[in-house]
Order: sequence, then structure tokens, then C-alpha cells
Amino acid sequence: MQKKFRYILVFLILALIAAYAAWKYTFKESESNVASRKTDITIEAPALVQAFETNEDSANSLYLEKIIQVSGTVGSVSEDSLGYAVYLKDKNSLSGVMCSFDRASFDPSRVEPGSHVIVKGLCTGYLLDVQLNKCSVARQ
Amino acid sequence: MVARTILMIILALPYMAFSQKLVSRNGHIWFYSHTPIEDIEAHNRQVVSILEPATGDIAFNLLIRSFEFRKALMQEHFNENFMESDKYPKSTFEGKITNLDKIDFKKDGTYTAEVAGNLTIHNVTRPLKVTGTIEVRGNLVTARAKFIATPQEYNITIPAVVEKNIAKEIEVTVEMPYSSN
Repeated sequence: MQKKFRYILVFLILALIAAYAAWKYTFKESESNVASRKTDITIEAPALVQAFETNEDSANSLYLEKIIQVSGTVGSVSEDSLGYAVYLKDKNSLSGVMCSFDRASFDPSRVEPGSHVIVKGLCTGYLLDVQLNKCSVARQ
Repeated sequence: MVARTILMIILALPYMAFSQKLVSRNGHIWFYSHTPIEDIEAHNRQVVSILEPATGDIAFNLLIRSFEFRKALMQEHFNENFMESDKYPKSTFEGKITNLDKIDFKKDGTYTAEVAGNLTIHNVTRPLKVTGTIEVRGNLVTARAKFIATPQEYNITIPAVVEKNIAKEIEVTVEMPYSSN
């Protein structure tokens, strides 16, 4: 009888753990996801831009949906209704890296045009610029 | 698609300085789906748009993957199952402002803008007519619009399991801040 009770107890604990894991997985927030995930690739902004300019398909296969830590010079910082966009761009190139930040994960007073930053974010592809989403500043 | 992007860059960048094209590199488009079960919204804050005040030509280009959802899993389903972002990574709109004579880009104010063109989502192109506004404040031009898109019309299949969670009509809101360089 006592043995049976112990089995039931173990089963209940396992079921609770499974339920918690499933709940965590289903409701995990996108934001926490990127900042806490391991960096897949570390690269300089001009090299990342050049990879996409040279061959978009091969760059997509390398960088798309990857967590990228990119270092570059800040061209501009602009605000939108949800947060900020930091545009990493060299003076002599036509395109750059557009990084979008949620309001809570960015302090605009600490990033000025012309300064050097390291940004971590999720690469979603290339239009006029390489796009990074859900960014956070890794180091200044 | 690649050719079109290259064409856009070629058209946009070198001539920007002297032909007064308005460019937005981080425009905001979001959509909202309401059902009794849940409300879902997703935001794309990296929309590229080019507006030519002289001709009224207006174009939008966005990456489907740049839509941010609150839940990561939802974003995954959106890209993998609904939008097939691997096959169709971009969405575009190309059109024209049809009441250009009513808009003075040199004078501050908020103008009603009627736009007609073609919207491509999920590789399906359909005509779209939208009435929005164009706000002129000095050098800053902001275009705003709202319209309804129906997933079914763009061949987007919603699996039966989540059918009740996703609205038949999705409200799309556009907010584009343009600058002339």
C-alpha cells in the first residue's frame, strides 16, 4: 500500500514538472528569448552588410534566424511608438544594420551617433539594410 | 524579388539628394487580430518605403520575419506554418497617390491621401485601395493608413486547431516617418 502511494507521489511530481515545462515553453516571451539566448555569430557591421550585398542567398543561409552580436558605429538613433531604432552605418557605405529595440531594453542617453556599440539581436533578413530584431546592447 | 530590391536601391539612393524622394527605413506596420478567445498583435518596425512627392508613386517593402510577436512560439508558427517565410520572405505594396493635387508637401498640415495599388502577401498579389493621411511638419512627412486584410484571400491557410484564435479579418495599421535623406 505504501509502495503504491510512493508511485503515485512520484508520478504526480513528474506530471507537475512536465506541466510547468510545457507552460514555460508555450508562453515564453519573445523578448527574454533573444537577450538570454547564446550568441551564434559575432561579426563587424560592415562585414555583415557586405555579405548580404555580395550574395543575399548565401548570407541568408549563414545569418538568417541566428542570434548575431554585431559591432559598429552608430549612424543614427530614432524613436518610434514601441522603442528605438539604432542604425549602424559607415559613412562611405549605402546600407547598414538596422537594429530595433523595445523601450525597456534600451537607454538612448547612453548611445550617441558616432559612438561604437556592440548590439545583440535576431537577424531577420535584408532589404535596404540588414535587419536585427529584439536587440539589446551587449557592450559600449 | 532580388532584382526588385536591387532596382529599388538603385532608384532610391543615388538620386535621393536631388530628386527629393522621401525614404523611410524604419517604418512601422502592425496588425491586430481580435477573437473572443484572444487578441493577437505583431509589429514590424523595419519597413522600407519610398514616396515620390512629384509623381505620387509610393512603395513599401517588408520582411515577414521582422514581425515581432509577444510570444516567441506564435512568431515561429506565423513564419513556418502560415506565411511560409522561407519561400516568401517579403511582402510588398506598389501604388500611387490618386489625389496628389490635394496634397502640398511644402506646406505644414494633415492631408487625406487616397492610394491605389497592388499588395503582395504570401506570393499573392491583389489590388488594394486605401484612404489614409499624410502629415507634413517641416522636413518630416508621416504617412498613416489602416486597412483590412483577409488571410484567406492571400492563400494563407490557418490550421483548424487555431482557427478560432485568429480573426477572419486582420486590421493592418501603417505608420511611416519619412525623411528626405
